[in-house]
Amino acid sequence: MNVEGIFYVNDHLEKLMFEELRNSCRPGSVGGFLPGMKQIANVAALPGIVGKSVGLPDVHSGYGFAIGNMAAFDMDNPQAVVSPGGVGFDINCGVRLLRTNLTEADVTPIKERLAQSMFDHIPVGVGSKGIIPMTARDLEEALEMGMDWSLREGYIWAEDKEHCEEYGRMAQADPAKVSMRAKKRGLPQLGTLGAGNHYAEIQVVDEIYDKWAASKMGIEEKGQVCVMIHSGSRGFGHQVATDALVAMEKAMKRDEIETNDRQLACARIKSEEGQNYLKSMAAAANFAWVNRSSMTFLSRQAFAKQFQMSPDDLDMHVIYDVSHNIAKIEQHWIDGKLRTLLVHRKGSTRAFPPHHPLIPVDYQLTGQPVLIGGTMGTCSYVLTGTEQGMTETFGSTCHGAGRALSRAKSRRNLDYADVLVKLQEQGISIRVASPKLVMEEAPESYKNVTDVVDTCHAAGISKKCIKLRPIAVIKG
Amino acid sequence: MFRRKLTALDYMNPDNFHVNDEKSFRDLVVWLEDQKIRHYKIEDRGALKAVEEKDWATGYRRYLGSLNCPINPNERAAVLDWLLGLAVRFEYGDNVDTYKSETAENVRNRQMSGPKMVNTNPLDALDFQSPEFRDGVNRLASQLGVTQHPDHLVTLKAISKLITSRLSAEAMQNPGEVIHQGKAFPIFEADLGFETGDPVLNNAGKALRLMYIHDLRNLQTRINESIVAVQTITANPKTDTKLGKVGR
Repeated sequence: MNVEGIFYVNDHLEKLMFEELRNSCRPGSVGGFLPGMKQIANVAALPGIVGKSVGLPDVHSGYGFAIGNMAAFDMDNPQAVVSPGGVGFDINCGVRLLRTNLTEADVTPIKERLAQSMFDHIPVGVGSKGIIPMTARDLEEALEMGMDWSLREGYIWAEDKEHCEEYGRMAQADPAKVSMRAKKRGLPQLGTLGAGNHYAEIQVVDEIYDKWAASKMGIEEKGQVCVMIHSGSRGFGHQVATDALVAMEKAMKRDEIETNDRQLACARIKSEEGQNYLKSMAAAANFAWVNRSSMTFLSRQAFAKQFQMSPDDLDMHVIYDVSHNIAKIEQHWIDGKLRTLLVHRKGSTRAFPPHHPLIPVDYQLTGQPVLIGGTMGTCSYVLTGTEQGMTETFGSTCHGAGRALSRAKSRRNLDYADVLVKLQEQGISIRVASPKLVMEEAPESYKNVTDVVDTCHAAGISKKCIKLRPIAVIKG
Repeated sequence: MFRRKLTALDYMNPDNFHVNDEKSFRDLVVWLEDQKIRHYKIEDRGALKAVEEKDWATGYRRYLGSLNCPINPNERAAVLDWLLGLAVRFEYGDNVDTYKSETAENVRNRQMSGPKMVNTNPLDALDFQSPEFRDGVNRLASQLGVTQHPDHLVTLKAISKLITSRLSAEAMQNPGEVIHQGKAFPIFEADLGFETGDPVLNNAGKALRLMYIHDLRNLQTRINESIVAVQTITANPKTDTKLGKVGR
């Protein structure tokens, strides 16, 4: 190991981590991913890593890197690497939160209609196709311009861009570095939610912990209605990652890079493969922002139709948009020196403190809003970034609940009908494309998001601001 | 070019002089001789004053020769600089008493003690340091709820800012639109981001932060306005429900 590996837990999460480790060490267990704890250690052994390999409280095993792992690599070290496994297959998967000036009482009477209207506007599920017409040329432009494309075409508002990480566009994107195959997969999928843990939820404010920060976000009272969109770059990002892994395996042999795990395929940042990956990853990130922007447009339409009011009058502003699967070039202080790093955040959200130059002017006093999506039927949270997080975790925090059971295990142990009934009992309207897959996403399959968030808050790497509770869920 | 020297000599339109413009060059040379240098007798100035003639250059060369100008007549900018310098010297020589008191120190004192005066401004007659003026500013400040600064001119600046942004005709008509509505943020409880060890300095730091955020907000608002202006030309959002397909 080149640096230390650490992870944040409370008692309950600690038990889960060690249980995962014990299970994988039992004789006869084969296949699957390495346990998260081992993965954090393997990442700490990668060339060029600085500081430490950090596991956030929601950490669980994934491809190569654990999901909920952040790691920073020194841009000035010629040996330092970039790894697609450290970003994840769903490049720039992220969460966007819209506010409204409606209250729960306004929405409850037409909740079912509203849920249906959202479901009609936003296509969901595997193989879904979007309702915003796109040509191949539109796609090329969107990949290069990110949210600037959505702005130019009039799908979103100028303020949306202001309240988005990176202002919704990664400048180093180069669509020419993206394979035809990825573009073919991506073209019809723009403006669709996808499947897996992605969702669009109508939520209400359940608790406000930090009145002033909430007020800066336009959240004034309990019961205020919000819309949360959790989605990513769909098949496009998956293909970009797959293509890069193939190219990097060759580069590893050529440059004699050795890693502890075959899944940790990587390339030197300065090498052609490394640069190609960063450029195509940025294109995929732009794809995801356009995707979330298109769904923002569609959600606004759905609300406008149901309430017979313009989205403007409903005050449907974007509070913020975070990316939790991405690698970014950032500057951080290490041992009193300013260093330029490539920060990988996989299942980890950027959480910059107050006064950081890269966060929007409206949040300069409060710190960056951090959107933590729960699982279907559980709460979501808005946190804010802290100075302590900046020094301890390179300005990173958790991203969600994090799986506790594997997908296969969830399917074996749970019945989808029970899951749906339970949601209904909680008064949550639900629209799903494939009910048979909902048990994979049942709350029981995940760690408790409140545990995860409380651990981040207690550790001081981010601060609780708002708690949201779902009243309607749209899922793949 | 030569704006300062031309202004000092009271040349008309000192801002619009171009050395490469033949006509204005000739006019200036003649004007300098006529008004300031007066080297030739009036009746001998004929050749120089014939600015429309083709062989003006001959008279011009002869003139420079008789002034003992050391500069090549073709380098017009340098020649003019020299001529202007000469004119300024004569001007000073004629009025030594007037200019004697214009030392660097006196000029600086005058600039510090009051706003720059424009000749046609009726407020010029005001004495900005008079006790009446000082009292007036302070009374206005207390009426408007502006904190008084030891230098009443700084207070005046603050008053002017308040009036132009909050009490303009536009703001009076539509207070809701012009004046930003929002809740006060408890800035003194907020994290400054660094610690100086001195509470007074910390508060000053917070005030600076607020001013910076204010500027940044204005910049971002202007950016948004530009984007919206462009959107009115480019935007054409479309949807086609026939394309939609719900997956498995």
